[in-house]
Amino acid sequence: MADLVGSLLNLALLASAVRLAVPILLTALGAVYTERGGVFNIGLEGTMIMGTFFGAAATHAVAQALPASQGPLASMLAPLAGMAAAMLAGVLFSLIHALVSVTFRVDQLLSGVALNLLAVGLARFLNILLFGVATQSPGVNGFPPLAIPVLRDIPALAPVATGISPVIPVALALVVAGQWVLLRTTFGLRLRSVGENPHAADTLGIDVARLRYAGVLISGALAGLAGGYLSIEQGRGYLEGMTQGRGFIALAAMIFGNWWPLGALGASALFGYFDALSLRVVAVGVPYQFITVLPHIATILVLAGVVRRATPPAADGIPFTKEEG
Amino acid sequence: MSARWRLALLQAAAPVLSIAFGGLVASGIIVAIGKNPLDVYGLMLRFSLTRTDSLAAILLKATPLIFAGLAVALAFRAGVWNIGVEGQYYVGAFAAAFVGFSVRGVPAVVHLPLAVAVGGAAGALWAFVPIALKLRRGAHEVITTIMMNYIAAAVVLYLLADVFRDPTQIGTPRVRTPLFADSARLPPLGPALAWLGFDVPAHSALNWFLPVGVVLCAVAAYLLVRTRFGYEVRAVAFNPDAAEAAGISLDRVRFTMFLASGAIAGLVGLSDILGFFGYFDIDFPKGLGFLGISVALLARNHPLGVVPAALLFGLLDRGAQGVQVFAGVPREVITILQAVIILAIVVGYELVTRYVRVQRKLEAERALAPGEPAPLPGSG
Amino acid sequence: MDAIVELSGITKRFPGVLANDRISLAVAPGEIHALVGENGAGKSTLMKILYGLYQPDDGTVAVRGERVVLDSPRRAIALGIGMVHQHFMLVPRFSVAENVILGAEPARGGRLLAGEARARIAALADQYGLAVDPAAPVDGLSVGEQQRVEILKVLYRGAEVLILDEPTAVLTPQEVDDLFANLRRLRAEGKTVVFISHILEEVLAIADRITVLRGGRVVGTLVAREATKAQIAEMMVGRPVLMDLAIPPARPGEVALEVAGAVVAGRRGRPAVRGVSFTVRGGEIYGIAGVEGNGQSELVEALVGLRPLAAGRLAIRGRDVTRAGVRAIRLLGVAHIPEDRHRRGLVLPMDVWENLILGHHGRKEFGRGPVLDRVAVWRYAADRVQRFDVRTPSLATPVLALSGGNQQKVVVARELGFAPTVLIAAQPTRGLDIGATEFVWTQLAEARAAGLAVVLVSAMLDEVLTLADRVGVIHAGRIVAEFPRGGASPREIGLAMTGARLGERSA
Repeated sequence: MADLVGSLLNLALLASAVRLAVPILLTALGAVYTERGGVFNIGLEGTMIMGTFFGAAATHAVAQALPASQGPLASMLAPLAGMAAAMLAGVLFSLIHALVSVTFRVDQLLSGVALNLLAVGLARFLNILLFGVATQSPGVNGFPPLAIPVLRDIPALAPVATGISPVIPVALALVVAGQWVLLRTTFGLRLRSVGENPHAADTLGIDVARLRYAGVLISGALAGLAGGYLSIEQGRGYLEGMTQGRGFIALAAMIFGNWWPLGALGASALFGYFDALSLRVVAVGVPYQFITVLPHIATILVLAGVVRRATPPAADGIPFTKEEG
Repeated sequence: MSARWRLALLQAAAPVLSIAFGGLVASGIIVAIGKNPLDVYGLMLRFSLTRTDSLAAILLKATPLIFAGLAVALAFRAGVWNIGVEGQYYVGAFAAAFVGFSVRGVPAVVHLPLAVAVGGAAGALWAFVPIALKLRRGAHEVITTIMMNYIAAAVVLYLLADVFRDPTQIGTPRVRTPLFADSARLPPLGPALAWLGFDVPAHSALNWFLPVGVVLCAVAAYLLVRTRFGYEVRAVAFNPDAAEAAGISLDRVRFTMFLASGAIAGLVGLSDILGFFGYFDIDFPKGLGFLGISVALLARNHPLGVVPAALLFGLLDRGAQGVQVFAGVPREVITILQAVIILAIVVGYELVTRYVRVQRKLEAERALAPGEPAPLPGSG
Repeated sequence: MDAIVELSGITKRFPGVLANDRISLAVAPGEIHALVGENGAGKSTLMKILYGLYQPDDGTVAVRGERVVLDSPRRAIALGIGMVHQHFMLVPRFSVAENVILGAEPARGGRLLAGEARARIAALADQYGLAVDPAAPVDGLSVGEQQRVEILKVLYRGAEVLILDEPTAVLTPQEVDDLFANLRRLRAEGKTVVFISHILEEVLAIADRITVLRGGRVVGTLVAREATKAQIAEMMVGRPVLMDLAIPPARPGEVALEVAGAVVAGRRGRPAVRGVSFTVRGGEIYGIAGVEGNGQSELVEALVGLRPLAAGRLAIRGRDVTRAGVRAIRLLGVAHIPEDRHRRGLVLPMDVWENLILGHHGRKEFGRGPVLDRVAVWRYAADRVQRFDVRTPSLATPVLALSGGNQQKVVVARELGFAPTVLIAAQPTRGLDIGATEFVWTQLAEARAAGLAVVLVSAMLDEVLTLADRVGVIHAGRIVAEFPRGGASPREIGLAMTGARLGERSA
């Protein structure tokens, strides 16, 4: 029993939970933006896939192009380019979603589902084109890891204080910034207004479509970044299916977090923990296949348990039609 | 009446235009990899349509897609989003496989229907969890069904690898169940087709599930169009609030349609395992559930539209093999083509629906007797 | 007199409808200008053009003598034109301050200046006597307070011209008095007000000039001091008014509907109906008058089984149906004309024939077993369409293509099918033109004559007073007064609607 508790709470596990929470967190944060603006984006899974592929591909390309002599700055350059490419791919990919669901006002669910199908085909195709095989890119190197000064010298804390991807503090900063943006800025107020009552916003001269585009594109950038983190920092290369439904889990995290960035942070931490558990807890007498789907089971339980008290934006998922004959 | 025809024609044109648009986008990709799209498409059509083995392959590929498309369409028509056909068919196929290899010594007339029934029941069972959670707890079925897909894959893998693996295969890299009894195998369709004058290659796995699927679609269409329950389904899908006020139980309609969707989903894999493999193994075809979504969308969730949509996807799949082998074009181009068609079709249907709506309004206005004051949109 | 706003030759078409037909209108600075007309006369369309929400197909707009193109509300706002919509355009989850500043936020580098916003709102509220708490969330405000937020929104944007679209429709008489005081104060501060209404007493009480619209055209403009009610009414309708429906004395029969101590939860579980009791006999109309949002919607939903009763008892024809659902209640012969026909009454994309059997589709008249007998359904639908004079190109036309009046005819035709014994009619003439209103009233009167027990819930006092044999006045979820036909003046009933207890008189 003590063994089990120990294995459920040890520091290495927590460190791993934090790392695994990051892609869910970033995508959930993106989902907050798009849904606060009133657009479902179930295509975030596909957007993440695009991020994983383009992140790894760009990192690989830049690393190849750089001269062999690598200083500390040069070693940053390739992953940086990868992250940028992942975000750009996410933005462009979600542009399709915005076009179909905001401009053409198609059911947002259908558009997202179609995008997820597209992402799988596109990633395979491009991978064949660039690397000759469908499912895997060459390995890449991520950012040089950070360590927290002082803490890293305490051996017991080493697992959490060292080997930190610089994307992790960036993600945390983005969450805090997101909370601030939504609550305290003009953009945030307007974005929330088009998700709550687009007709009211429209009568006040707010461009509903433009804000909804902004929400969707931001979600694309963040889901792309999440994908980039997965392939560059965690996977050290692109592998087909490496997102494993995290885009969907992120949507659950957003709901669990009641459509706020800080709430999404808490929920993502929970999912990250289950994810970490699924990688580490092998010796508990449960077949490993079931351990691997712990995050998915947790997602269902969370949705079944909490959704009743969650309050989505009032116009979430409803296409906006300007009153004009 | 001619106006009505024009609108009907327009609605029929939407899928054709979407396919053309998808083809155009795919052409761009084909050009980008340095091939001539016309050559590629020509080859694709020749390869798919002029060879008997290709035609048989298209029909074989379309068979599970008919079931998958119908499963998705049934749920979508009722306004519930079953994205979980993928998981439901894994579970259904494994359950049918279990009946196939564990039951021995019963005649085919008992064994085969039992395997099919158990497959359907298992699919329905897997659908029961998300719909019950939606109706009782408000958990959004889109996310829960997707999660159930992952769980299904894990459960089936566990059962296959750790519980029911064929003991004679241990030590080999093959992970599969024991072979099914012959009484659980689907009879081939070849002889019947030959009798009709269409000779399929002897090795074709084309089986009786194809006509079964077509008949199921026809039955579903009849039930949805002609029965009181079908009427309720339409009302619930278009306006649940009004249906509720009319005394229709939303939960009952949604629950029934979702379980029906799951049950049909449970049959998706059976053509492959009962009609072809004769065992369930780790390389069991995946992704049919998601293709089912595409088929259903292309069919506009109409059961009768599912059959041609599935045939089209079967053709694209066969064509993809052809261009990969003979033109060096990766088959993923066709996957992209499929996705673009789906994106185009949802936009196309939406625009057509809106246009038709305006036309019907105009028609109604014209039919008004003079002197009837017309209302204003949003007037006060 | 130089007009501050001048509309010339405005024409606006919608699919199949000519909403504005060469309308010209000049509004003088500092006046309260009323725009009156029946539903569908084109008032709202014209004002939405002035506010930049619609673009006219023809005609010009001039503001302060300069020709302008109003292609968006933003442009209108910049020109000092603001609009208070009939259905409030508020974000319920936002605070008053957030609602007021939305779209015109005081900000530095994108950062909201919340303090400055609050200060400016407080100053405005003070200047014009519009008392509201800037920090309060809007979904907790009363309707009158929400309207003040809307007016503040407009003033905050520096509007010189305020358009108010049917501002009194949702207010109690007291709140109307407050609103008029606010409007006079605005006029005194030099603002111009365009006031849309179809209630003539109000128009005559507040306006300086009155422009009458009918069928998308201007009938004429009058100086309010010199105008009479009858004169305006005739201009509005184009024929002598109205409609004193001859209602014979009631011959009440058996008790058909009995409600005792009904408590019904509203939004967020707060009770919306707090102990309502009444009985209705066959052959009588029980009217429920009251300002909207006092529990009527919840009461109606409870009566037809759409909402559970938290406490109390409901009986139909002596049968207890307190726990029954919609289906069971319908089967006892309860018909329901819902207040929102688009939401609850019709399945818009479905055809006329399909909508005519909604809720009746399980009847044995429409076939044995699970299959619908198309021929029987079609025959029934054709008969209904003919009997209720539904103007539709065919039975196979989607209901969404029909006009509002014809849509309501479909609802009424359906609900009065198969000889119901109780009819619950909620806001049955909302949004209908005169002809359709007359039709609905006649149907209600005929239902009464046929022995139905009718519950008529309406926010239009006229309607209730014309039709009801007894009137219960609802306020804050309670029936606060009950009068027999002719037992109270409109003024007394209006007073009861504000919640003034007349217990000693009604008891």
